[in-house]
Amino acid sequence: MRDKSHMEQVERWAEHVKNNPQTWKKQLKPFLDAQIIMAIRFYNKLAQTPEGREKIKLLRNL
Amino acid sequence: MDRKIDDKTILDKFVEDFVEVVEKHCKYIIVSGFVAIAHGRSRGTEDIDMIIERIPKENFINLHTSLINSGFECMQSEKPDKIYDDYLIRGDSIRYTRAGINLGPPEMEIKLAKDELDNYQISTRQKFPLTDLDVYFSNIEINIAFKEELLKSDKDMEDARHLRIIYKEDLNEEEINKIKEKIKKLRLKEE
Repeated sequence: MRDKSHMEQVERWAEHVKNNPQTWKKQLKPFLDAQIIMAIRFYNKLAQTPEGREKIKLLRNL
Repeated sequence: MDRKIDDKTILDKFVEDFVEVVEKHCKYIIVSGFVAIAHGRSRGTEDIDMIIERIPKENFINLHTSLINSGFECMQSEKPDKIYDDYLIRGDSIRYTRAGINLGPPEMEIKLAKDELDNYQISTRQKFPLTDLDVYFSNIEINIAFKEELLKSDKDMEDARHLRIIYKEDLNEEEINKIKEKIKKLRLKEE
């Protein structure tokens, strides 16, 4: 179970989003995109290794 | 809302491109984590959850073909007959990614509507101007009810709290409680 300070931060950020509808997405975009970009870069590298495709299938529960 | 086009995230573009194809074939809703993320929750995800109408196999084959022609690939199989019979109709989900990225994220996880609760979600679907996305979501009360009554992980409770703050003036608590009762009746009795 996460502690109280974690939920307080969730609430602070939600208030920020609510009060700044024009800017919150610009702030969040690099964070959200970075996770996808890093994952795609990793999968592409892994696919080039021996058994890489098989490992990707295992990672993706296929 | 006049956000610039380049404010759209990779997830936003993936979802909009995907639903542009799907909506030509059937009604759909986006549910679960991406609803909160589209409303500014600062957490990542690599899959987006979609429920579609319970369409017959022939319609699904057409939908699948359109998705392939639009640059998506199904992670389970290339054969739409097999995808429908072995997964969808049995209540399992199927996943699509953009073609040519070695099955990397993001991915769209699709399920057929399975009961009156899913049909209700589809019939009350909404677009949310705050998200700046031209996409149908299940409504906020339903999302909060599922997260608080059924899913209940830390992440889900935080998502629900986030949505409650964003829509605090507009929430229909009676509707949330009604959905929670339906969840107890239709989903929790299965466990």
